[in-house]
Amino acid sequence: MKNLLKIALVITFALALVGCGGDNTSSGDNEYGCEVLNVYNWGEYIGEDVISNFEDEFNVSVNYSLFDSNEAMYTKVLGGTHYDVLVPSDYMIERMIDEDLLQPIDKSVITNMDLLYEGTLNKPYDMDNTYSIPYFWGNVGIVYDKTIVDPSDVESQEWEVLRNPKYAGQIYMYDSERDSFMVALKALGYSMNTTNEDEINEAYDWLVELQQTMAPAYATDEAIDGLIYGEKAMGVMYSGDAAYILSENENMAFYAPEKMGTNYWNDAMVIPKNADCPGLANEFINYILTYEASYDNTITVGYASANAEVFEEMGAAGGYYEGNPAFTPRAQNEKDEVFSNNEEVRELISELWIKVKNS
Amino acid sequence: MKRLKGLPSKLWLILLLAFMYLPIIYVVIFSFNDSRSLTHFTGFSLEWYEKMLDNSTMMESIYYTVVIAIIATVVSTIVGTITAIGLSKSRRAMKETITQINNLPMLNPEIVTAIGLMLFFTALNMRLGFMTLLLAHIIFCIPYVILSIMPKLRQLDDNLFEAALDLGCTPFKALYKVIIPQIKPGIISGALIAFTMSFDDFVISYFVTGPGINNISTMVYTSVKRINPSVNALSTIIVLAITIILVIVNIVPMIKERKKKKNEELA
Repeated sequence: MKNLLKIALVITFALALVGCGGDNTSSGDNEYGCEVLNVYNWGEYIGEDVISNFEDEFNVSVNYSLFDSNEAMYTKVLGGTHYDVLVPSDYMIERMIDEDLLQPIDKSVITNMDLLYEGTLNKPYDMDNTYSIPYFWGNVGIVYDKTIVDPSDVESQEWEVLRNPKYAGQIYMYDSERDSFMVALKALGYSMNTTNEDEINEAYDWLVELQQTMAPAYATDEAIDGLIYGEKAMGVMYSGDAAYILSENENMAFYAPEKMGTNYWNDAMVIPKNADCPGLANEFINYILTYEASYDNTITVGYASANAEVFEEMGAAGGYYEGNPAFTPRAQNEKDEVFSNNEEVRELISELWIKVKNS
Repeated sequence: MKRLKGLPSKLWLILLLAFMYLPIIYVVIFSFNDSRSLTHFTGFSLEWYEKMLDNSTMMESIYYTVVIAIIATVVSTIVGTITAIGLSKSRRAMKETITQINNLPMLNPEIVTAIGLMLFFTALNMRLGFMTLLLAHIIFCIPYVILSIMPKLRQLDDNLFEAALDLGCTPFKALYKVIIPQIKPGIISGALIAFTMSFDDFVISYFVTGPGINNISTMVYTSVKRINPSVNALSTIIVLAITIILVIVNIVPMIKERKKKKNEELA
């Protein structure tokens, strides 16, 4: 018994030591001064072999961690965790630039800059891409069942179709204050980045009416399964998720409101100020832009690539996503907007959002 | 006491068990799903088990969970036992105060402990990672160990220790030959609680862990963006492992007992 205990102790401590080994950034003697790169990305957001291929090519190891929301990622970075590459969304990048948390990208390393799809560059959150290089991008739109919902209804009424009493009880509303208020503000013809309280209150009334007349189901990722199996006929969806739904259920169609406009979003790679290994981080970003890595990412995840060649090839005739409109979002529609960061408005709408759901 | 008989009480029991086990069974069934769906069963396949074994993040998270749980249990049990024994020998006022202080972290909302620890580690300039995760787990396990050992010590006859000394034990010998065996059930239950607490902790782990170090809970949480049935496969394996351990823990003493009885009968 005693011996058993001793052995157990020895084993656990040995394991602990092994565990510690991988945990610190070892100072290597390669040209970057480090052999470990800490990447922090969304869950299920990368190609299957991208990391291992990068590791082989540069003879380094990558610590790949996942986050589930921009806010969680922000808290971790602020809490003092050192990451080398992050992939936040547009408004969060704007906030991190404002708060001086990011360092400029070393453009001399990013030789693949010209591979990028032009529509993803120079967006308002980072006007000349000083701090960020696009990763995935897309729109928000409506996924609907062609056999139940009349396509002409969707195309003529755009966001208002969500309040069309014909389809009461048949819709999924996106369960996030940001996206729901975007829908309401766009439906009313306002900017989704409005700071005008009257406009926000009008949007609130719009959402309350929707809640009371349409009995929507509030969901985020649960709606993906629900739409694939036709549990409801319509839902507000991110284009990448919509592409996946369309590829699984051929009755489904996708429409991103054109006249009213919608959200154009962008997730981009940035390097935080406290990165241990900025040199290698720039190389990693450059590597992601290559055709091979972008192709792997897009095939695995289903979102539109920032690599122009991959993006066009996928949607073109014979491409993997041929005829799947959700895969080919648009980057140049006058009415579309990018989210900007405004904490006061954010607080206001999150209060209102709770009231909407309880109304 | 009257034995529970009759249909209503049986039905009640069945309902109770169903309520506890149906969600687990649901998870297990969908781990064998043919498609990615978590709500529609389309056919039987082992695809997600394969995916799980291929997923290095997932396998690593199992490794970290187990290693952290084992080390945290061993360390917190040793520290907790020593503290509890020391406390039982100290003055009443001291004992009361420390016991109250010990209870505080257990009543404190976990999120407060979590953020506190994160800020504390950062302030000390410690890198968030394996070490901070392990330290945090040891820290939140210790109070539970102390709590489960204290009652056993209270039951202990104060004179036992002195009797042992009288009979020629050194103090240390008296400790591990007399005191420890007497409070062993408390130590074991403390260690078990520590192990389970560490094994399924999410909130604290989420905040104090660093790049690349995930335990099972934080790994599952961060991959919910598009959850897939390999998480179910992982859960199924954990459930299976726990069931096997429980069966062994319950059956081995029974077999031992039976052997003992047989031996006694023979003698």
